[in-house]
Amino acid sequence: MDYIVEMKHITKRFPGIIANNDVTIQIKKGEIYALLGENGAGKSTLMSMLFGMYEPDEGEIWIRGKKEAISSPGYATELNIGMVHQHFKLVSNYTIAENIILGMEPKKKALGFLPCVDIEKANEQISELSRKYGLEVDPKQVISEINVSTRQRVEILKMLYREAEILIFDEPTAVLTPQEIESLLEIIRKLRDGGKTIILISHKLEEIKQVADRCAILRRGELIDIRNVADTSTREMANLMVGREVSFVSEKKPAQFGEVILRTEDLTVQNEEKFTVVNHVSFSVRAGEIFAIAGVSGNGQVEIADAITGMMKISGGHILLKGKEITEASVRERNRTGISYIPEDRQSVGLILDFTLDNNLALRRYYREPLEKKGILRSAEFHKYGEELIEKYDIRSGQGGITTVRSMSGGNQQKAIVGREIEEDSPFTIFVQPTRGLDIGAIENIHRQIIAERDRGKAILLISLELDEIMNLADTIAVIYNGSINKIAPASELTAQEVGEYMMGVKKE
Amino acid sequence: MTGKRKSMLWIALISILFGLILGAIVIAILGKNPLQAYYNLLQGCGLALKGKYAGGKSILTDFSSFVDFWTPMIFAALAVAVALKSGLFNIGVSGQMLTAGFIASITVGYSSLAAPAAKPLVILVGIIVGACIGALIGFLKYRFNINEVVSSIMLNYIAEYVISFFINTFFVDPVSRQSREISGASRLTLHQTVIGGYKYDLPIGFLIAIAVTLLVKFLFDKTVFGYEMKAVGLNRTAAKYAGIRVGTNMVSSMALSGGLAGLAGVTYFLGYYASIQPKILPSTGFDAIAVSLLGANNPIGILVASFLIQIIDKGSTYMSSQAGLEAEIAPVITGLILLSAACSVFYLTLGTRLKEKLAERKGGPQHE
Amino acid sequence: MNSINNIIIDGLSFALPLFIMAIGGIYSERSGITNLALEGLQGFGAFTGALLAYIIGLKAGANSQLPYYSAMLFAILGGIIFSLLHAVMCIRFKANQVISGVVINILAMALTVFLTKTINRNVFGAASDKINLGVSARFTVPGISSIPVLGAFFTNIYPFELIILVLAIAAWYLLYRTPFGMHLRACGDNPQAVDAAGLDVSKIRYAAVMMSGALSGLAGISFAYSISAKFSGDIYVGYGYLAIAALIFGNWTILPTLFACLLFGFARSAGYQIVQALGMPSSYSDLVMILPYVLTLLLLIFLSKHNQAPKALGEIYDKSKR
Repeated sequence: MDYIVEMKHITKRFPGIIANNDVTIQIKKGEIYALLGENGAGKSTLMSMLFGMYEPDEGEIWIRGKKEAISSPGYATELNIGMVHQHFKLVSNYTIAENIILGMEPKKKALGFLPCVDIEKANEQISELSRKYGLEVDPKQVISEINVSTRQRVEILKMLYREAEILIFDEPTAVLTPQEIESLLEIIRKLRDGGKTIILISHKLEEIKQVADRCAILRRGELIDIRNVADTSTREMANLMVGREVSFVSEKKPAQFGEVILRTEDLTVQNEEKFTVVNHVSFSVRAGEIFAIAGVSGNGQVEIADAITGMMKISGGHILLKGKEITEASVRERNRTGISYIPEDRQSVGLILDFTLDNNLALRRYYREPLEKKGILRSAEFHKYGEELIEKYDIRSGQGGITTVRSMSGGNQQKAIVGREIEEDSPFTIFVQPTRGLDIGAIENIHRQIIAERDRGKAILLISLELDEIMNLADTIAVIYNGSINKIAPASELTAQEVGEYMMGVKKE
Repeated sequence: MTGKRKSMLWIALISILFGLILGAIVIAILGKNPLQAYYNLLQGCGLALKGKYAGGKSILTDFSSFVDFWTPMIFAALAVAVALKSGLFNIGVSGQMLTAGFIASITVGYSSLAAPAAKPLVILVGIIVGACIGALIGFLKYRFNINEVVSSIMLNYIAEYVISFFINTFFVDPVSRQSREISGASRLTLHQTVIGGYKYDLPIGFLIAIAVTLLVKFLFDKTVFGYEMKAVGLNRTAAKYAGIRVGTNMVSSMALSGGLAGLAGVTYFLGYYASIQPKILPSTGFDAIAVSLLGANNPIGILVASFLIQIIDKGSTYMSSQAGLEAEIAPVITGLILLSAACSVFYLTLGTRLKEKLAERKGGPQHE
Repeated sequence: MNSINNIIIDGLSFALPLFIMAIGGIYSERSGITNLALEGLQGFGAFTGALLAYIIGLKAGANSQLPYYSAMLFAILGGIIFSLLHAVMCIRFKANQVISGVVINILAMALTVFLTKTINRNVFGAASDKINLGVSARFTVPGISSIPVLGAFFTNIYPFELIILVLAIAAWYLLYRTPFGMHLRACGDNPQAVDAAGLDVSKIRYAAVMMSGALSGLAGISFAYSISAKFSGDIYVGYGYLAIAALIFGNWTILPTLFACLLFGFARSAGYQIVQALGMPSSYSDLVMILPYVLTLLLLIFLSKHNQAPKALGEIYDKSKR
């Protein structure tokens, strides 16, 4: 059997965990091979070793029938292995061409002897390359000005420029719309037809089903099984991935809407470069309603959340909470009037990583009784409150209330934030990307909490990039495109396909 | 002591040891005995007996003089630490000291107020002047996003030259070439007081320094303001998310820092000294960064660290005369200690990695 | 008329060393390493250069220009060596870069003053806290220098100004046109990208910091020659920090930084001329000395909002973070 990549009995340890435990996979030339698993299963680690970013503690890697020690990305590139990372590694103030050629620049001699980067040649080469593979880009555009899916193309072109034959894609569809996902899968198929070997790291079962030949399933560092994708259902794959039966759809009681809790009128927000990112947006959220805003990353949805909570200044329009104007109110005033906010970035916004768990749980209450009195903190009360929440929301940590939050897992960090915000019993709560990077168990848990809050009569604004999550939870769906809402409708009246089309600006209301 | 505090203590000790060893090597290269030189340092500060003492002086005289010298550094390092808690670097402590000292001198120091009125007034003026400059730096940072390191250094030099100009033009003492001496009533140190036949310099400022140290500790650990300062210093966005007014907080922290620097200034120029030398920026403000680092930005740690660093500085004059070394070796040793302390992150990670390796060998790795 | 000429001549001789130091700072910061150590580096470079110049001058005789040029060479070397301290602290030991910079400054000042005194005493047998340099020759370009105003740019030029200009152009080319410069600028924006491209981020950053040391050393010896004709503790008056302010205005780009430095230089020399022209007593010159610093503050107030530091500036690059 002609295997182009073999990873035999690979073990990799990090302090405190075994990321890969005796994993063996063999990939044939020209196949699309998927690595399926939850967050923390070890898929990224395994491929990072293939790409030379780490070296295995035990085991061997064989490429094209020869044993190799891949000690650096440079050497991996020499072996014609390329990787598109989950977090793009692009220099934001360089052009597309400059990013692609970085480290392999075509050179010329200015004035006959001075070494110089030949930018014109680079632009030509990139244009040609992009045409050859159907990945159209303008080599002279600067990265900071292009959208996510174009950036991904740049990452792919980086690999192709270096003549990669083995292409690794790490969670490539996390930030794409359904249409862009289609487009990417098509590109992957074309690359395979052109003789490339593709390794696809993903937890998106549908996509694996659409495009992969075989699939290795990892769970907690162990290889569980290797299956032919055509013969395996998504249900089976999910169960193998998690180790138990998984339910896909959340149980939701029929909606019972109350009065309007939050309303925005003509909300307009400009960013630092005076560019309008939210353009005259109006909508309202009722008590007992999960109102979801769907959209591709970067279309203004996060700015809407920031504007409503006061984290960002608005340049026009009004925001009303329970009929009261809060457009000019400070963040704290809004918090006290009744807004809870679970932000997108749990580590840089929702938590102070170097504070203890108690101090983080007290973030909304430290300045009022009973946690303080006359400006002085009462640590006994802090601890008591922390204990309450830890118990109630099952927040796990190394040392309980005095644990430094930095050392807690992502799932527990999120539990802490969600618990803290829900405990405020605010009439209105915003959830932005609440389940990003969490495993299925944690996702189910948070979805349950969101629905529970909705059933208790809270008004909920859900902003998410995961269409599945929105279709699953929302009562009402609004789609944002280029800063404007181009569709609002009850969830029951929309299909995922339609929402995707609105997200791409294809359909307009 | 918590684990983190213990590591900080180890780092401080290692840094000091490292600096002292390097300094000893330099001293040895110059052909002098390092241990003798270091003993001279202690003697110069009244912590060890000298061979003989001049009339009316004893080891306690030297010690009281040392405490007098130590006091401004306590305030200066506290100033640095307070700013650091909010994530700001107050490199302008020296300029704030100078300005506070100058203004206090010309308002109170040259007046004819009696001691019970003059001394508290000096303290008050010092705090206010320092706080104003600190607040200015904080404001420039918040409103105009001006890097506080650059702005405080600019203010340092502006202060130095402007004050030098005023001293040379209006307040100069032609004999000493410094500013005229301030009145004894306004001086915060009871200079050369005679008790039982011996002379002492009694620094009232020291008592204030101890009190302020405890107050700052209380502020950090137990107050709402301290909580907010730490939040702003650790994660500005999260602090905003929590509803903290970041700008106000920054300005307040810098004002507090400046006020402490002002106290350093008046205990320096109207305490240890009684006049100001033009065109000189006291090095205290920069050495305070070392002290704060060594003391792990913790008030009690600062008390101890400042004690140690000032021994090197104060004792250097005596050491220089006894051992025949240039007194300038003292700031070199201080600088080396600082160098070592700056690598503290590295020591910490080294320490944690060692601990993890030991733990792994003992219990074996666990799954997450 | 003469005053304007003097403003230009003195202004240039101040602005150009400031500029080359700022370029060094740009190299370091564009690679992602905050560099507040320029002040100490220029002082240490000046010390090394002055010391070697003095020694060589003793051997070469009073009229030789050899000490002058060797001073510059050794100043550059001294700057490079001392900058390695900052590089190792920040890159290898992952120290806080602001603190490291300030430490280097303190250490440089302490070390150079101490060594000056000690070497003077023990080697030359004199109790002195300075190293005297000969006055540097200045030259004037014939012809052009007679043109009013413009000619002043070509009058009474110190040789180091020319050297600086040549090096500045070379530095510009290196940073913006060569592969090395491209890699360096990428490090300050996204070191992960550079790493993934198979390049060595640490090596590039070491080179960048050493560049800043070299150029700062050159600046230091230039200041020593032009302002005071000696090396002493007086060389530490905050010009290193001025250079940092200049590069912040210049938005970390070379050409705008040149304008900032020229502005500072001319402000300073204009102030002196005013004091002289109005016949004020010399103590007023102290007041005038604050012009560059006040100007810095004012300009920072108006320009800081729009500046964009390199994205990864000051962040400790940890390979294991993915």
